Amino acid sequence: MLKELIAKSFEKSPWLFHLNTGSCNGCDIEIVSVITPRYDAERMGFKLTGTPRHADIVLVTGPITSQSKDRLIRTLAQVPDPKVVVAIGSCPRSTNVFNGSYSVEGPLDKYVPIDVSVAGCPPKPEAIIDGLAKAIEILKEKRRAMK
Amino acid sequence: MVVLSYLFYVLVFPGLLFSTIVGLILSGIDRKVVARMQKRIGPPIIQPFYDFFKLLGKETIVPRTASRKTFLYAPVIGLLALVTVALFIPMFKFTAISTVADIIVIIYLLTIPAVALIIGGAASGSPYAGVGISREMVAIISYELPLVIVLLTIGKKVGMALNNGAITFSLSQIVNYQAQYGPMITKWSLIPAAIALLLIIPIKVGSVPFDIAEAETEICEGPLVEYSGVPLAIFKLNHAIKMFIMTSLFVTLFLSGKGTGILIVDILLQVILSAIVVIVSISTLKAITARLKVEQVLKFFWTYPTALALLSLILVWMGF
Ligand code: SF4
Repeated sequence: MLKELIAKSFEKSPWLFHLNTGSCNGCDIEIVSVITPRYDAERMGFKLTGTPRHADIVLVTGPITSQSKDRLIRTLAQVPDPKVVVAIGSCPRSTNVFNGSYSVEGPLDKYVPIDVSVAGCPPKPEAIIDGLAKAIEILKEKRRAMK
Repeated sequence: MVVLSYLFYVLVFPGLLFSTIVGLILSGIDRKVVARMQKRIGPPIIQPFYDFFKLLGKETIVPRTASRKTFLYAPVIGLLALVTVALFIPMFKFTAISTVADIIVIIYLLTIPAVALIIGGAASGSPYAGVGISREMVAIISYELPLVIVLLTIGKKVGMALNNGAITFSLSQIVNYQAQYGPMITKWSLIPAAIALLLIIPIKVGSVPFDIAEAETEICEGPLVEYSGVPLAIFKLNHAIKMFIMTSLFVTLFLSGKGTGILIVDILLQVILSAIVVIVSISTLKAITARLKVEQVLKFFWTYPTALALLSLILVWMGF
């Protein structure tokens, strides 16, 4: 019974950690707008946490720069299993307008596997919520695979 | 038989199980009410249960720099202290354990969860936790003084009526007094003390605007920064139970009385009154304010709540 409760709770209470790896701030603002009264992601149990140790879903925004590469890998290693990586915006997918810059190292999937990718520059809050709903499904599957 | 009944008290009612369920529901109500005040729909009331069970299913990571045993046992120490406090708080006529000086016991036991947070944070070896625990100490210093004065005031008021003027430290005597003379909140000389206690409850449970120790947007949840999985779940549980115990203490001190005489109804009444106190003192403040700075918290608590509590104490001492 406890197992079922835990499995059910995983879809009801995903906590988010927001990691900016060099974004232009556009995507970050759209993520914040997801938790405003208009979209209110908290009604589905989403909560922004301050530390990677509490997170279930990691939202990555921006291309990977040489400054943030190390920190990205270290931060993701600190997230307890099961965890899901969501790429917000076109930047982590393809480096977008920053392609070819001297400080940009490459897209996110060069370093870590992406589970869900939300395209757009920046993506609409509706698209982000849709991506998060897909992330919950993957989170549940990962939890099942753990035991 | 005695052993069995004590086991029942500790594990089921009013100990672990009861205070867990009521505490989690109260914090769910708090989140819902804050959301409604901000014109959001808000999470379901049982959201804290989901959070708790989800954390049970997560991996528990112990940092390499942490001292393992202290890191893992600190939340359990806090939980034990809180469950013990739950036994001492009477709900109208019902008390699990009643002694001659339970207020003093409660003052000491209520400090232990904060100390457990400090110990756990210190054991995790994170610099954020270091900042957090120093702030937690500031918080303890700021609220202990007005809290003790409020409790003294009530003790004196009850002592003057029932105890020939000597201060009483017994909660059941305080309930007896209210059964005879009506709830404490109806005595005008004690209203400043009630307001002071309403201001102390948010800092005791660590909610906005007094959550300097766990400021998640500023120092990444302070002492909890390295916790994950089961220990974090227990810390969240501590937080919820603390909310129930502080509001239940307020109800017992100020809104108690004869009750209805039927145990179940009395308990329900206590829980409903606690929920109202949560909405008044925690949710409303959380929705309308932003976090204070560290020194502002200290200054605030050593002026307004302390002054209000002292005012009540002086009025009571003069016989009003
Ligand atoms: S996807 Fe567009 S809005 Fe988002 S970080 Fe990149 S450039 Fe900025």
